[in-house]
Amino acid sequence: MDRDTAATALALVTLIAVFAVMEPIIPTNQVRFSELGVLGPNMTIGGYPTNVTQGGALRLYCYVGNHEGAVTYYQVMVKLGNSATFVSNATSADAPEIHSYSLVLADNKSTTFPVNLKLNTTGTNLRLIFELWTFDISSSQFAYTGLWNQLVINVTDGP
Amino acid sequence: MRPPWTGVLALIAMIWLISLSSGFARAATNGEFNTATNAIESAFVAVHNAGQNGGNVSELVTELNTALNLLQKAQAENATNPTQAATDLQNATSMAEGVSAASASVAQAGNAARRVTMATSIGGASAIVIAAVLIYIFGDRIFRRLWLFVYRNFVVRPPIG
Repeated sequence: MDRDTAATALALVTLIAVFAVMEPIIPTNQVRFSELGVLGPNMTIGGYPTNVTQGGALRLYCYVGNHEGAVTYYQVMVKLGNSATFVSNATSADAPEIHSYSLVLADNKSTTFPVNLKLNTTGTNLRLIFELWTFDISSSQFAYTGLWNQLVINVTDGP
Repeated sequence: MRPPWTGVLALIAMIWLISLSSGFARAATNGEFNTATNAIESAFVAVHNAGQNGGNVSELVTELNTALNLLQKAQAENATNPTQAATDLQNATSMAEGVSAASASVAQAGNAARRVTMATSIGGASAIVIAAVLIYIFGDRIFRRLWLFVYRNFVVRPPIG
C-alpha cells in the first residue's frame, strides 16, 4: 500500500469515527407530525357501526400518535355534523361538540383510548367528526392541527 | 336538671353540622374547574420545557395524564356526585402543581446530562482526530519498529542452490 492510499484510508476511517462519536449531538432533521385514527368497537380499522339508536351507547376507539419532537398536549374533539357541515385541513367543523378528550403524550409515543358516546339527535347520514387540537404554548390555547376523521352514521328512534 | 346553655350549644352544633354537610354537597364551581385547568396547562408548559432541555419526562407525563383524567372525571360527575367532583378537582390541581414543581429538577438533570453528552462527544472526536494526525506523522516509524520487534529473531539466509 503506497503512502497516498494509506493517508486516504486513514482520513476516511477518521471521518467515520468522528461522525459516529458526534452522532448524539448532531441535530436531526426529522419530519414532525401527529397522528389521529378512529377505530371500531374491536379496536381495529373496520367494523364501524352505521346504525345506532338515539341515546344508545356507541363505543369506538381513538388512536393518537405524537412525532412532534416534543411533549404535546392534545385534545380530541368529537362533533356531530351533517352532510352540509364543512370541515377541512384548514378549517375545523362548525358543529356542536358532543365530547372532548384531553391527553398529554411524550415524543414518539402513541395511545389508544375508548370513546363512549350517546347520541341524542336522530337523523340519517349524520357525521361524527373527530378533530385533533394541540395546546399552543405561545398563545396558551388549543389550535386545530388540521387532522380530522369522520364516521357517517344513522341515528334512529329508540325502541 | 340540665343547665340552660346546653340547649343553645345543641342548636349551634346542629347549625354547624348542617352548614358543613351542605358545604360538602355543593357542586364544584367554574372557578374551581378553571383553577384545575390552569394548573394543568402550567404543568404542561413546565413539562414541555423540561423535555426540550433533555430531561426524562415520562413520569411527569403519566402524572399529568392522571390529573387530566381526574379533571375529566370531575366534569362528568359534577351533576351527579358533586362531593366526589370537588375532591377530584382538588386532587387534579395538587397533582398538576406537583408536576410543575418537579419539572424544574428534571430540566436541570436533562441539562446536566446534555452537557456530559456534549463533552463526551466533542472530547471523543478530538481524541480521534489527534490520534489520526499522530498516526499520519509517526505511523511509518511506529510500523517499522513494530515490524522489527516482531521479526527480531528471524534469520535471513541466502537461497539454496
